[in-house]
Amino acid sequence: MRQEATSFSATAGPRRSPGRVGWLLLAPLVFWAGAFVLAPALIMLVYSFAERTALGGVVLAFTLENWAGVVDPVYLRIVMRSIVYAGITTAICLVAGYPVAYGIGRADPRWRNLLLMAVMVPFWTSFLIRTYAWVTILKSEGLLNSLVLQLRLVSAPLELLYTPGAVVLGLVYTFLPFMILPIYSSVEKLDGALIEAALDLGAGPLRAFSRVIVPLTSPGIAAGVLLVFVPALGIYAVNDILGGGRVDMIGNIIENQFKGARNWPFGAALGTTLLVGFALTYALVSRRQRAAFS
Amino acid sequence: MKRSMSLVLAVLASLAMSATPATAAELNLFAWSEYVPQSVLDGFTKETGIQVNYETYASNEEMLAKLVSGAASYDLVQPSEYTIEAMRKEGLLLPLDHEKLSNLKNVGKEYWGQPHDPQLGFSVPYMQGTVGIAVNKEKVKGPVTGYADVFQEKHRGRIVVLDDALEVVTWAMATQGKGPDQVTKENVLATRPVLEKWLPLVKVYDSDSPKTALLNGDVDLGIVWSGEAAILMQEEGDKFAYVLPKEGAHMFIDSLAIPKGAKNVDAAHKFIDYVLRPEVSRKISEDFPYTNPNLEARKLLTKEELANPASYPPGNPKLETFRDIGALAADVDKLFTDVKAKSGS
Amino acid sequence: MRLVRRLLATWTGFVFLFFYLPIVILVLYSFNESRLNIVWTGFTFDWYAALWRDTVLVRTLQNSLIVAAVSTVISVVLGTAGGWLLYRFRYRASNLLETLVFMPMIVPEVILGVSLLILFVTIGLQLGYTTIVISHVTFCFPFVMAAVQARLAGLDPALEEAALDLGATPLQAFTKVLIPYLMPAIVAGALMSFTLSLDELIVTYFTASAGTRTLPLEIFGRVKKGLDPSLNAISTVLIGVTVVAVFLTETLRRRNAT
Repeated sequence: MRQEATSFSATAGPRRSPGRVGWLLLAPLVFWAGAFVLAPALIMLVYSFAERTALGGVVLAFTLENWAGVVDPVYLRIVMRSIVYAGITTAICLVAGYPVAYGIGRADPRWRNLLLMAVMVPFWTSFLIRTYAWVTILKSEGLLNSLVLQLRLVSAPLELLYTPGAVVLGLVYTFLPFMILPIYSSVEKLDGALIEAALDLGAGPLRAFSRVIVPLTSPGIAAGVLLVFVPALGIYAVNDILGGGRVDMIGNIIENQFKGARNWPFGAALGTTLLVGFALTYALVSRRQRAAFS
Repeated sequence: MKRSMSLVLAVLASLAMSATPATAAELNLFAWSEYVPQSVLDGFTKETGIQVNYETYASNEEMLAKLVSGAASYDLVQPSEYTIEAMRKEGLLLPLDHEKLSNLKNVGKEYWGQPHDPQLGFSVPYMQGTVGIAVNKEKVKGPVTGYADVFQEKHRGRIVVLDDALEVVTWAMATQGKGPDQVTKENVLATRPVLEKWLPLVKVYDSDSPKTALLNGDVDLGIVWSGEAAILMQEEGDKFAYVLPKEGAHMFIDSLAIPKGAKNVDAAHKFIDYVLRPEVSRKISEDFPYTNPNLEARKLLTKEELANPASYPPGNPKLETFRDIGALAADVDKLFTDVKAKSGS
Repeated sequence: MRLVRRLLATWTGFVFLFFYLPIVILVLYSFNESRLNIVWTGFTFDWYAALWRDTVLVRTLQNSLIVAAVSTVISVVLGTAGGWLLYRFRYRASNLLETLVFMPMIVPEVILGVSLLILFVTIGLQLGYTTIVISHVTFCFPFVMAAVQARLAGLDPALEEAALDLGATPLQAFTKVLIPYLMPAIVAGALMSFTLSLDELIVTYFTASAGTRTLPLEIFGRVKKGLDPSLNAISTVLIGVTVVAVFLTETLRRRNAT
């Protein structure tokens, strides 16, 4: 009875081969992944070779001009800028977030959940709204300037809004929880005995940190870096609001091709480039991870 | 746990059921942001029972992009004059049935015979306006009479301009003595040095609501839509002034038109006729003080509104409409993006 | 060591201050009488009253809730089924399938939105509820699947063996043993889905239409127009709802701790 192919029992050992029923049950998933992940990417690839009409429509002729555009210095500069901003944001999040994640991870179990929730709650409120709050604080007649002027620390309002600094602030604010949570996950699994052992053997706190703790939490760090760097690269709303439309990143450029610039094929080329870049990075990182844990 | 789960589900279900289904009479309006008062939409719905879905855009190009892609269907759009010209060339607009527009006679005679739609067969003027310079008189001393005066070193980091490639390039061309009907590839590329001088001085690019930066004190002057400037003057009259650039200012006529593929053509006509009523048009002017093409509505405006120099510019300034530039839009956009990126940070 | 612990605590406190300062200010000023968000002129509930009368806001909120609910249901079904099937059976295409499924999680939302828009235009599917739900499910269900997979990794096969030994049919073993075991993961995934869908802006930006605007889209439009205290009010309401939801889940989780 239990050995039927349709039985749901698991046996310790190799997983069963699916059989017809197994594949049938998997069909919806396969369909979804095929239709809404693979197909859009492929069609986008096809579009990248298409031409745009005078008014902004798409004509399926074959041209390489969009790809020439991708390597055009104009856009490469913006890609570079996006990478720099995303990189700075990731670095700040790592430095600022690691101690918090460590602190929560090693804290008293009673407090841990509460602290975690405290980190999550801002994440669960709309990022738009939180960004908008920063506008209120940073603008020339905003709260920070009012405070600083009242305290006579400066004589004229500080220009904080619509600057690159404001954009980085907004990005860090948006992504910090994404760094804290994976690192916390790793820290929580740390065996305190290992750290104790290191200290017992004479390692100073700094050495214990760099030689024991960091390597052991590296999966969390890697996950955090990925979860911050990747979305930060494609952001366009936060820098639009806090940067005054001046800090164009690759996300804005792609978005613009589908709006004002009306150049879908070019947008498709840019999109495909980024997509392939990410897929490769993910494949590389996950292969390294799998190797590290086998 | 089961009880709280079912409670949550019940709440969600009731919310879902109370939502009006999408099968009720609707009108899909695709228009500029900051241009159609909610009170006008509500009034229309109350009278006709037709629900209006208002989606916004901040540039003609953005509207065209969505429309041309065929991604979504709209019943009414609100293009500027040069876009109407382009859309007519491509057959993207449905002809209007003047029989259904009894209030069309309220539109001033000067709006007939315009090059983009002489018989008003495809569009009905909604609002007219200009693009000009708004100045915070408390912060900016010295005369500001044209584009060149705006983009001076002393105003670095205190300027807001529209986030519109065609606008900015046309201003640059104006300072080189070329009008909007002389948009050629050479003339566009010739504006590069001008743009490279201007754009590093800009603090904010904003087509949605440029008055915000001015009101917040984050910038001191800017090149904005006349309606936005008019609101500035209404809110803080003595602080702001509106100047039409002497090199030549863009005069735009935004009209309502029905795109091909509209599903609710009748409702669209009803809305156009509703908006043409003097009382309704007057309400639009109240919220968005552009130049009202509806002469009957103008009779209902207050003296202050008619005296607002941003809404009804005095004198005989040099005003020009834009023409359709076809495929050159790509070159314009690329130039703007390029210089903007180099000037940004 | 004590010093280290104290430093960590101080830093954590500082970071939390950073997190919550804008939120606290936002909430406080939703009760401010003055339209400008600086000077405190008086306490009022006016802006909240205005929310009720704001038909557009209410309508977009309804849209958002409906979309989130439907997306979550589909995501839970797809994610749970996917997670369990990939655990139970050894498919040859497992790796490829997993990569495809998790792609939307790691790719910037702009690209997701743009590629889906291109797809819908190509197959002629008009933008509306259907396209929004499809978009949301596509990046929400990987979260459910990941949660289910993580939970399954800790499953003791002996559990099901025991159930079957005691006379349960395979179906009963599934519904009465496996599903309850997976419940915490499913609930966590569902909550994640719902929240992500409710807050989703960028992908929706590309796949929504005039008649199906969601709340984040509406807020985005208004934020660009300038600062309006009714935005503070709606933000406070959303924050309140989130906190309550989180509180509920935590209480549920504690009661179900196995």
